[in-house]
Amino acid sequence: MIQNPCILNDVTRCIGCEECVAACKRINGLPQEDPPPRVGRSRDGLSATRWTSILRRPGGINVRKQCRHCNQPACVSVCPVGALQKTPEGPVVYDKSVCMGCRYCMMACPYGIPHYEWSSVNPSIRKCILCLEKLRRGEIDRPACVAACPKEATSFGTREAMLAEARRRMAAEPGRYLPHIWGEHEFGGTSVLYISNVDLSFLAWESPEAVGEGPLPERTWNALRKVPYEFLGMGAFMTAAWWVIDRRMRLEREAGSGGDGEGGTEEGADR
Amino acid sequence: MTRRVQITKGILWFITGLAAAVTVVRFTRGLGATTVLSDTTPWGLWVGFDVMGGVALAAGGFVIGAIAHVFRRQRYHHAVRPAILTALLGYAAVAVGLLYDLGLPWNIWHPIIFWNPHSPLFEVAWCVMLYLTVLFLEFLPVFLERTRFQGLYRTLLKLQLPLIILGISISTLHQSSLGTLLLIMPFRLHPLWYTPHLPELFFVSAICLGLVMVIFESSVTAWLYERKPRMEMLSGLARFAAGGLAFYLAFRFLDLWHRGNLPLAFENTFEARLFWVEIAMSALVPLVLFLIPKVRHSHTGVFVAASLGVAGFLLNRVDASGLAQVWATGTDYFPAWTEFAVSFGIVSFFALIYLFIQEHFPVEKEIADEEERWRQRQLFVLPRFDRLSQVWLGDRTFASRRVYSLLFVVAAVLGLTLTPWRPLVEASPVERARGGEVLRVGFPLGTVSFPHADHVKRLGKESCGTCHHLHEPGDVGTPCTDCHRDLYLPTRIFDHVRHVRKLGGNAACARCHPAGAPPEAETAEKCSGCHRKDMMARNETVTRFESLDAPGYRESAHTLCIGCHRKEAENPAVGKPDLFRCATCHHSVVPHGEAVLEASLAGVRDQRPSRTR
Repeated sequence: MIQNPCILNDVTRCIGCEECVAACKRINGLPQEDPPPRVGRSRDGLSATRWTSILRRPGGINVRKQCRHCNQPACVSVCPVGALQKTPEGPVVYDKSVCMGCRYCMMACPYGIPHYEWSSVNPSIRKCILCLEKLRRGEIDRPACVAACPKEATSFGTREAMLAEARRRMAAEPGRYLPHIWGEHEFGGTSVLYISNVDLSFLAWESPEAVGEGPLPERTWNALRKVPYEFLGMGAFMTAAWWVIDRRMRLEREAGSGGDGEGGTEEGADR
Repeated sequence: MTRRVQITKGILWFITGLAAAVTVVRFTRGLGATTVLSDTTPWGLWVGFDVMGGVALAAGGFVIGAIAHVFRRQRYHHAVRPAILTALLGYAAVAVGLLYDLGLPWNIWHPIIFWNPHSPLFEVAWCVMLYLTVLFLEFLPVFLERTRFQGLYRTLLKLQLPLIILGISISTLHQSSLGTLLLIMPFRLHPLWYTPHLPELFFVSAICLGLVMVIFESSVTAWLYERKPRMEMLSGLARFAAGGLAFYLAFRFLDLWHRGNLPLAFENTFEARLFWVEIAMSALVPLVLFLIPKVRHSHTGVFVAASLGVAGFLLNRVDASGLAQVWATGTDYFPAWTEFAVSFGIVSFFALIYLFIQEHFPVEKEIADEEERWRQRQLFVLPRFDRLSQVWLGDRTFASRRVYSLLFVVAAVLGLTLTPWRPLVEASPVERARGGEVLRVGFPLGTVSFPHADHVKRLGKESCGTCHHLHEPGDVGTPCTDCHRDLYLPTRIFDHVRHVRKLGGNAACARCHPAGAPPEAETAEKCSGCHRKDMMARNETVTRFESLDAPGYRESAHTLCIGCHRKEAENPAVGKPDLFRCATCHHSVVPHGEAVLEASLAGVRDQRPSRTR
């Protein structure tokens, strides 16, 4: 399979037929009918049984939402056991046998993509995996959603090819698109790109411009990489403080009682 | 044992009983039934209170350890053992709380072998494991002191200082890591809370919380066991706490000011109000109280200030991990009673263990000694029957234990009956179609186009019964929404009481329930047996006249429509091969539908403040 696979969604071409949703459910063995929604469900229509959905916006705009397969995924970086992994090829996949169900990935994803099987006693995190297994085995040459699209609103290729294709379309019909490729730089870049005639910052909880475009994992790593120094530093500081204070107290006592105060201070104090 | 202790223990046992009931449901039915967590709010009270709060509450252990052992303030040695015990039990409570919150709790040990050093939670997991071990070793001498294992006891005492320093180092790491945990979600956390300095802020606030927690705990223990509080120690700790709180306030406000987010605190928003409540409770009011010498030297004074501080800093942890994220997700999350029951139940259970250890081991020697004397005195007094008053006169331990068991069982039974055994589902009532061409059903599919006139023309008038398969008595063309009232949930349409009344009371049971069979829904006469006129059962897809419930709107509409549409699509004479596809009916073509959609989205987004990071 190709390296760094990528999906390009062209919002101006999407007619909102949801063939991609149906195809996704078929290939992943998800129930065609979603179970009743949970209290406080996400408003984008995604759920544990619906890995891609069409957001309908004013003016007949249809925007397909799915996992963005970020270049530096927040979900992968926060998973304490590494149940979510960015594969060498690029898609972000999930390993149920490792997961402990802490749901940190759901908190950390800026797009609100990972979903949870709330009604199960043995729940999994569910999200788009870019049909990785079937692509690897060569059963399909592109993800099911792309194959199902009747309008070529969603296309598949390497990330470089898709960026080039996006630029080509924007150059060919300049009035048709806003001059921005969503996913090129946001949060370190994603492998699902969008070109559109409307602003798409609503796809994330908060527009990437407002919180800074840099990769999210850097924010925690900046703090985490100091951990060994903090540990040793605090230990050294406390030992030094104890040594200084202990020595001063001993000297004071020796000065007071004529040099007879060795040993047993700790135990005596603890009683 | 004082009356206060007995009443407190009774209350704690009751809450533990409630939690025990919820535990059964939690581990047989999953998180869905016992929490109102959702995909937009994956972390709730159990993370905010049990984990974040629990770790912070346990900070007293390392703070007092540092003050008494490293900085050698003899006055505070009495606080060391209770503080370490609180820390030990606090971390054990965190681990238990995690077992409830994790979706796959049997995998809780996975961080030991599966490593991801990039995850703050991985660091927290390791620190909790290591620190629990360290705390256990620090506290073990208390268990050993009055046993014959004096060799081990002395070795552990010698190791105490290195252990305490190791504990301080580990605590520094994971108290701040809990702040690091939130660094990755600048898009969720409100700018009044989010700052790149979250780790430092969490560390400083943990020190403050540790101090006020020790004050709180020793004044409560003194009150419970009716002992004279060590006011000298408490007011000394209060002075330390005042310093810590002042530093915390200065740090927090300077950071806000530096990032230019301070004006957000003066807007009229939920978050601004929450911020001020939190700041007042956690730091401002306790700081002012601790600064007044009269308050600092009074038992009630330090108790009130410390309880405010404890509640305030707990609120801070709950805010950061939940309440201050509401603005981003737009979903209102308020914990279900089952979540409160588990959170408070775990605290209660560990509080009971705390009291047990206090009474049986030399944590605070006076309490243990007194309890011991009391136990010895009472040892051989068995309950005795008093002939005069015809009652059993029991010893109070015996009696109170019975009361505790009773309270526990009553609470457990109460909890089992009140807990919902099913996942909580959102109600989505369906609007009645009013003659137009569009059915407005739930988000996200928005609207469904259904040209009624077109269907009548195409299928002929005699086909009405295909869709209008059941009428309310005396009605013609009863709309779908009269029975299928919710988009997803079934509607109970059979009214037993009404039938009993109409048919003439108990005498008429046999009209529906055949004699000899148990009077159940399964064996009863089917609706269609009587309601021949109202049931226009021409449509073979409608199979459920026997059921007491009408299925959800979506299920019934899909069953009804898709079968017919698929048949028509396969018919080459019709010439519409795509007729069965979703988009044939599901597309939002109506401006009105989009306006509704946009309004609901705007409601979420308009309240957001502009922000700088």
